[in-house]
Amino acid sequence: MTDQVSARVASVEQTAEWIELLRRDYEVVAPVKTGKTTSFRPLAEGLEVDWDYTITTIPASKTIYSPQETLVRFARTEEGYRAEEVVPEKRKRILFGVHPCDLHGTLVLERTFLGEMKDANYASLRANYLIVGLNCQSIGEKCFCASVGTGPFYGYWMGQGPPQGCDVLLTDLGGRFLVETFGVNGVRLLAGVEASPPTPDDIGEKLKREAAAKERFRKSLDTRDLPSLLRRNLNHPTWRITGEGRCLSCTNCTMVCPTCFCYDIWERVGLDLSVIERIRVWDSCQDERFAEVHGGNFRSTREARLRQFVCHKLSYWVEQFGCYGCVGCGRCMTWCPTGIDLAEIAAEIRADEERK
Amino acid sequence: MNLQLPKEAVVIGTKAHPPDTKAFKLRLRNDNERLELRSGQFNMVGLPGFGEAPFTFSSPPQADGSFEHTIRAVGRLSKRLMRVEAGETLHVRGPFGTAWPLEQVKGRDLLVVAGGVGMIPLRPFLLEVFQKREEYGKVVVLFGARTPGELIYREEFDTWRRQPNTFLHLTVDDVPPGETWDGHTGVVTGLFSQMGIEPDNAAVLTCGPEIMMRFVARGLLLRRFPANRIYVSLERRMKCGTGHCGHCQLGPKFVCKDGPVFRYEELAGFPDTLL
Repeated sequence: MTDQVSARVASVEQTAEWIELLRRDYEVVAPVKTGKTTSFRPLAEGLEVDWDYTITTIPASKTIYSPQETLVRFARTEEGYRAEEVVPEKRKRILFGVHPCDLHGTLVLERTFLGEMKDANYASLRANYLIVGLNCQSIGEKCFCASVGTGPFYGYWMGQGPPQGCDVLLTDLGGRFLVETFGVNGVRLLAGVEASPPTPDDIGEKLKREAAAKERFRKSLDTRDLPSLLRRNLNHPTWRITGEGRCLSCTNCTMVCPTCFCYDIWERVGLDLSVIERIRVWDSCQDERFAEVHGGNFRSTREARLRQFVCHKLSYWVEQFGCYGCVGCGRCMTWCPTGIDLAEIAAEIRADEERK
Repeated sequence: MNLQLPKEAVVIGTKAHPPDTKAFKLRLRNDNERLELRSGQFNMVGLPGFGEAPFTFSSPPQADGSFEHTIRAVGRLSKRLMRVEAGETLHVRGPFGTAWPLEQVKGRDLLVVAGGVGMIPLRPFLLEVFQKREEYGKVVVLFGARTPGELIYREEFDTWRRQPNTFLHLTVDDVPPGETWDGHTGVVTGLFSQMGIEPDNAAVLTCGPEIMMRFVARGLLLRRFPANRIYVSLERRMKCGTGHCGHCQLGPKFVCKDGPVFRYEELAGFPDTLL
């Protein structure tokens, strides 16, 4: 019974009651309006889920993989320092209202951290979370998940998708929600919730809404043969023209990307030297020092760094992890101060090749 | 298992390699554990407060479980390590990465080309070959350094040369005042004319500055050495050793786990490398 996908329909009121119920046992981290934007925040009194949000600045995956965390603590002993494991706080959390681009983005990030070599900290943090997805009907100007294949409704994409990455999936049917559960945890989350089984009309409404959402996309990425297209064009002039002419090396693109995993390690030394903490902080391939070694820097130019970002997401990633590193959320181009757009770069390269 | 949690390693001996390099013999503090290392792999070696960096092993696996790192002072951590003495503790994580292809090159003639501290990762390979000398063909080592004084492990050269069918050719870029040198001067590829090794049954192993490996690999390709039997060991910035921190990426490769030892042909066509 528990592994099956099951669906039911809940009214807006029943859904609100359900969230209140969840908050008794979990910290519910959900999209809430914060000024002009929407961010994932723990729901508290007076904060309401922003059901119609388009995209958050910081992706859902980065709620789990935070900008800074302590990995190891060195405690002073008579002989020197003893390394101690830092086990992240155990806390039951629900990441709520996550759009399909971010559901897939989280799974993509986890191909790095939970792959062949596991990152113990991430694994431990991830174990705190259950995820409630929300099919997306609010398509933004920079959104192109439909052409990548990760959205706007949650499904299977490049070897990943339900039942992974999402325990409960909601679809707003207008005045009521279709509630689908995946696996044991999904069923458990819905325990004690009043809801009725979906009618064929409800299922039909979901399909209709998915089709309508797909019609609203204004942006696309042509993924045909994309990894090898880029590999054939590592010397294309756009890397220089766009990289040197427009990129500011601000690292915004990588800070807002749901799949970017790169980090740096710092050590925080207490003034009395009794404790030294080894912490990790997000790092960026767009930072000038990222690929620096003694005696040289393998990516000293913005041209090389921009090429690394775009080719990693759209080409190398497929070889490394079997999927794209881009889920089509559009954040990198939204937050680029000079509007550098990896889909436009890919399109430019394709157009040039087709002209030849 | 937490791959970020280092193990304590006690320094049981050190040896200075002037002017700026020092070897550390280490063993894990916990007697019940040992590092299952292979020549060519590396450890992340750290000193709390000074950080952590990748260093290859400079000795092959030892029966007693000890291991060696030979480190040149170039950065904040490595400069501080020069002051570490026997009895002190370092924190290590590893071993990580790929190893020299000791099995795959059995029966072949071996051309080993080292530049400067590039000899450090190649030394354990050579010592393992010497332990089973009859399993390999001719061994030719070409070793170049900036100055005679930087020809690291020169105290071992006589022993190496006494191995059967083994030849060592040296070159230096420059002879500073006060040092004497009656050998070859110039870049290491200048020794190709005297290497006396045919490409047909040869394998090449090289480590040194990337620009040196470029000229070594390309020079040997022109001499008909096959690209799938040229092995290079690369250096990149690394923070984790586990393919997570992203710094070491070269095209689709993570140098920390897909390397540091690569077949030259694996790396063809990638940007951001001098190869």
